[in-house]
Amino acid sequence: MSQTVAAPAAPAQTVGEQARKRRGHSYHSGKQGQWWRFAVLLVITAIVLVPIAFVFVLSTQPSLGSNASGFTLDNFVNVFTQTGLTTWLTNSLIVTLATVLVAVVVAAPAGYVLSRVRNRLVSSYSLTLFVIQSLPVITAVIPLFTLFANIGLVDNLVGVTIIYVGSTMSVATWMMAAYFDSIPIALEEASWIDGASVLTGFLRIVLRNSLPGILSTAIFSFLLAWNDYLIATVFLRSDPNYTLPIGLETFFQQNATDWGPVMAVAVVMMMPPILIFVFLNRSFSVGGIGGSLAGR
Amino acid sequence: MADTITKRVGRAGRGVGSGGAGRAAPTKASRVGHRGVTLAAFAIPSLLLLLLINLYPLVYAGFQSVHNGDLISVGDFVGLDNYVAVLKSPDFWNSAKFTLIFTICGVFGSWLLGLAVALLLRTKIPGGGILKVLLLMPWIVPVVVSATAWNFLVATPQSPLPVIASALGQPNVLFLADPVLAQITVCVFKIWISFPFMMIMISASLAAVDPNVYEAAAVDGATSWQAFTGNTLPIISRSTYISWILMTIFCVNDFPTIFLLTQGGPVGATTSLAVLSYQTVFADMQTGPGVAIAFLMTLVLVVVSVILYRQIRKVEVE
Repeated sequence: MSQTVAAPAAPAQTVGEQARKRRGHSYHSGKQGQWWRFAVLLVITAIVLVPIAFVFVLSTQPSLGSNASGFTLDNFVNVFTQTGLTTWLTNSLIVTLATVLVAVVVAAPAGYVLSRVRNRLVSSYSLTLFVIQSLPVITAVIPLFTLFANIGLVDNLVGVTIIYVGSTMSVATWMMAAYFDSIPIALEEASWIDGASVLTGFLRIVLRNSLPGILSTAIFSFLLAWNDYLIATVFLRSDPNYTLPIGLETFFQQNATDWGPVMAVAVVMMMPPILIFVFLNRSFSVGGIGGSLAGR
Repeated sequence: MADTITKRVGRAGRGVGSGGAGRAAPTKASRVGHRGVTLAAFAIPSLLLLLLINLYPLVYAGFQSVHNGDLISVGDFVGLDNYVAVLKSPDFWNSAKFTLIFTICGVFGSWLLGLAVALLLRTKIPGGGILKVLLLMPWIVPVVVSATAWNFLVATPQSPLPVIASALGQPNVLFLADPVLAQITVCVFKIWISFPFMMIMISASLAAVDPNVYEAAAVDGATSWQAFTGNTLPIISRSTYISWILMTIFCVNDFPTIFLLTQGGPVGATTSLAVLSYQTVFADMQTGPGVAIAFLMTLVLVVVSVILYRQIRKVEVE
């Protein structure tokens, strides 16, 4: 492949060469430089993708129990009909969508305050949000477990949803505030002069113009709730309440050598983040949103 | 988005509140009170969540760390006994050592790889957009999935990597059964997961650079290396410090990356402080010492963050 691509590019290469010579060691010009860059990147990308590629490949290989060979989708049929996958998937969807909804509804007004009000109280609130974001989750999980055990929220989807919303709060509020910063306050001022209240101005003017900000916050909350392992493994204790990460982990522990079905569950679990990423990344920089997720 | 978050982090670090483009609205005096009530109502739900999910546990954890109770009951007040016991235990210091190794490898390994990729991606290359999307995958895929994939690759003697190693004349390479190899594997796994984050952070700051800077440097006869140290590094230094702080926090707090691959084994070689705290509480049922470990971990994290924050301020002053 590299040969067929290289051939037509040859004239351009010489032009690049000349340009390079003219400018001395110009830092990033010239087609010559591009080809080794491309090759190195290709190799890095290929190595990086090996583990993920194996997930896809293995999910379409026959399970140990079956006598089929070659490409098959049986694993997907089997995991949906014979394991708890449907339950885990439903639980994950319920928890994740509830988290997204509540997080946006709570973070948007708070972000508005952060964006529009400037006083010592609000700036210390902003700083508190940052400090809290960097505290170890494990520190919060242990006391919360005690609290939730007393009020019956352990092994309960509502319990983990509340924690997810709390965990998204600092970053979600910041993200909304960052977006509101880009909306000129003159728009609201005009509406206030026309007699609108702060609430009306916020709902009709600010929120209506903040769809990208709202979507970014929603994607962030979605990824946090969908990918979480620590909180789910501590709080969800029985199979009917497992979310996908815990379902996959226990299923993997039970079928460690039968990779086909395990990887089929893995594929189901990673498709939503990948689809969101592929379709929305251009407009929302999902990768950057994910930045606030790690360590959770 | 990475960039706006970066700016906010910087702003919070400088103790400046919010605002940005919007300035305080000049409203009539009669409206100020009404407006204040609405704005307070806007902030209260998030404040309540913050109190319940973040601040209350912190306070209660402090309470638990000076008691000898378990997950359900409070137990008796024991003063600083838990902290003393933790600081005396060799497990704690081994974990602290591994956490340090893991964090240093995670931060600088992912930074170097992310920087290299970001620099390679900077010029227009064929398929650059697609490559960038593909390179972000380790960051996007849920950690449970990637840990499963890595388990397949390295865990058993029949796994692909040990098979390749034995074909190359190194039989019986057990990546997760040998303490040192397991530590290396976990660090490499962390770098694999985290380098796309660094790539995004660095790419965002590189995108803001005027290419003429490099043209000018080239005219002055600067070599590639001089252009890199003289132009590129200063430009990315601010976002680099911020990404180091964030990645340090991510690494120290990281639980799933390690736990899902090794469960802290073999013989505790990959037990980080977060994993040790989890095991102390949920396996050994010792809440007090477990929380004490988490607190000590937080303390170190705060100190490191403050040191790195100072560096950011220095960079900003320059």
